[in-house]
Amino acid sequence: MGAGARWRHPLVWAWAATVLVFMYVPALCLLLASLTSSRYFIFPITKWGVAWWEKTFDSLEIHALFRTSISVALCLTVVAVVIAFCGALAFARYQWRGRTLFQRLVLLPIFFPQSVLGLALLLWFSALGLDLSWRTAVFAHLVWIAPVVTLVIAIQVYSFDPALEEAAFDLGASRWQVFREVTLPVLFPGVFSGALFAFLLSWGNFPLSLFSTGADTTIPEYLYAKMVAGYTPGVPVLGTVSTVGAAVLLLVGYLLIRLGRRSRRDDAVERT
Amino acid sequence: MSQTHILRLDSVVKRFGGLTAVNGVSLAIAEGEFFTIVGPSGSGKTTLLRMLAGMDTPSSGDILLRGERINDMPANQRPTCMVFQSLALFPHRTVGQNIEFALKIRGVDAATRKARALELMAQLRLPADYYGKSVTKCSGGERQRVALARSLAYDPAILFFDEPLSAIDYKLRKTLEKELKDIHRETGKTFVYITHSLEEAMVMSDRIGVMCAGEMVQVGTPDEIYTAPRTRFVSEFMGDVNVVPVRLGPDGRLHSDDPPSVFKAPTLPEGFARGHLVVRPESMRFVERAEQADNHVAGRLYNEYALGSRIQYQVRVGERVFIVERLRQQAFAGRLDDAVLIGWDAANSLVVGD
Repeated sequence: MGAGARWRHPLVWAWAATVLVFMYVPALCLLLASLTSSRYFIFPITKWGVAWWEKTFDSLEIHALFRTSISVALCLTVVAVVIAFCGALAFARYQWRGRTLFQRLVLLPIFFPQSVLGLALLLWFSALGLDLSWRTAVFAHLVWIAPVVTLVIAIQVYSFDPALEEAAFDLGASRWQVFREVTLPVLFPGVFSGALFAFLLSWGNFPLSLFSTGADTTIPEYLYAKMVAGYTPGVPVLGTVSTVGAAVLLLVGYLLIRLGRRSRRDDAVERT
Repeated sequence: MSQTHILRLDSVVKRFGGLTAVNGVSLAIAEGEFFTIVGPSGSGKTTLLRMLAGMDTPSSGDILLRGERINDMPANQRPTCMVFQSLALFPHRTVGQNIEFALKIRGVDAATRKARALELMAQLRLPADYYGKSVTKCSGGERQRVALARSLAYDPAILFFDEPLSAIDYKLRKTLEKELKDIHRETGKTFVYITHSLEEAMVMSDRIGVMCAGEMVQVGTPDEIYTAPRTRFVSEFMGDVNVVPVRLGPDGRLHSDDPPSVFKAPTLPEGFARGHLVVRPESMRFVERAEQADNHVAGRLYNEYALGSRIQYQVRVGERVFIVERLRQQAFAGRLDDAVLIGWDAANSLVVGD
């Protein structure tokens, strides 16, 4: 029995289907829970409707939430990618004294419990007399997300042949031209994935935001607060939008990478 | 004389911490020469080449390009170009974009760039429709040609090669070696090539420099290196040879302890007292009687190997193994473990130092 035949075995399919169901049914329930016209959470749903969707989208409060979450995630993405790109080169590209120590230190914040990290940051912010807002949240997210993005980009850097830079330099390119023409484009898929990671991790982050946003509120914070007290079907609506938004972003990102590769090839073909 | 030397090295040394990778290499390479540096891994040949290309700077000594000291000139300002061991083709670029890279950096317009790229592709027998092909989709041999075309587009005064053929299978390598020699002839440029394969060096080079432990132990034409190696290292680097430690006796003959014997000596270098007697396997032959050759030893036929056009025989003499090679058409009829007598003429042997 070959590998191909093994993959076609019905049990394999049954197992895969079970895993998928366990992973995605909760998200589906979220969508179903939002499609009620009742004020309360009753399952199974007796009266269907999209009233809560309309209400949610019309709410100014919700608009403010989106603005805050997007501001935090976008600012964080830009800063995290710049820091992580340099960090990834130090992590994986260059041999230097203290590299091993650096690698350990970079990894450490990832395994630190985020709620503790959030509290520690809050103490620092108040010690330094900083006013809490979405800007401090960017910093707080950075402490946890920059290391993750560093790792994501470092994976790409590990597969980078340093001879590529030497070859470009040898062919007359300046250091800056080497970076622009070779290093950055070759590492770009890693940088792009890193940016997606940064945005999505910030978008969904709750524990760090809780301690660092002050008067501003992000979507996960709002969802939590509403679930603790004051549930309305607006919660699953917002949850669904947030989840689907993230999924769409991932999908678009993936398509962009594929499209980018193809267009580069087509460009070259057209020039022939 | 110095006018015709494009590249001169004067006691070039490179140290990495406590390690001396290149230890005082002096060398002069002529304009238009195909010069190959051979040596085993760790002999310092790659370090030497990287200093010539401007990717490392010498710890001491001088590198002169057409009389100008270039020790500290960075690689992007040197009129030299390197073909890397990994080829280092830009994976995000097409064949055409790879070849045009140097021209693009110089600000040459797209039409001129393309014309030059297509010209080089034709010269290197790459089909013109490969221009828009991704380099990652090219075969090993095609990638070699793209790498060479990319370097030629730079129009360098000297082209360096860092073992570019080492990862290629035997048959294709043989073809590419010959192509490279043809390209050298067509372009008239100076080629400096490094390899660990003396066989590869022999096929292509005008001159060969053999490196060992950071030093250039012998420089000469392929013929000189082959027929007159100066040290045991160089003679053994050539492939399988018979090497017997000997000392010069008062009788003018060479005395050996293992096997205990006395041999008729070839022409000896002045002042020779002890060293190694070297006999190539093709100069060894099976004899029936001792008088049929100047020298002989008796042993047992231990094993035989088919090497394509030749057959190699191992003959055990005590603990030492001698090797004899014959053309396939003249295969030796002996059976394994037969007692055999092998011999050679003094004129076909030579003595070398350590």
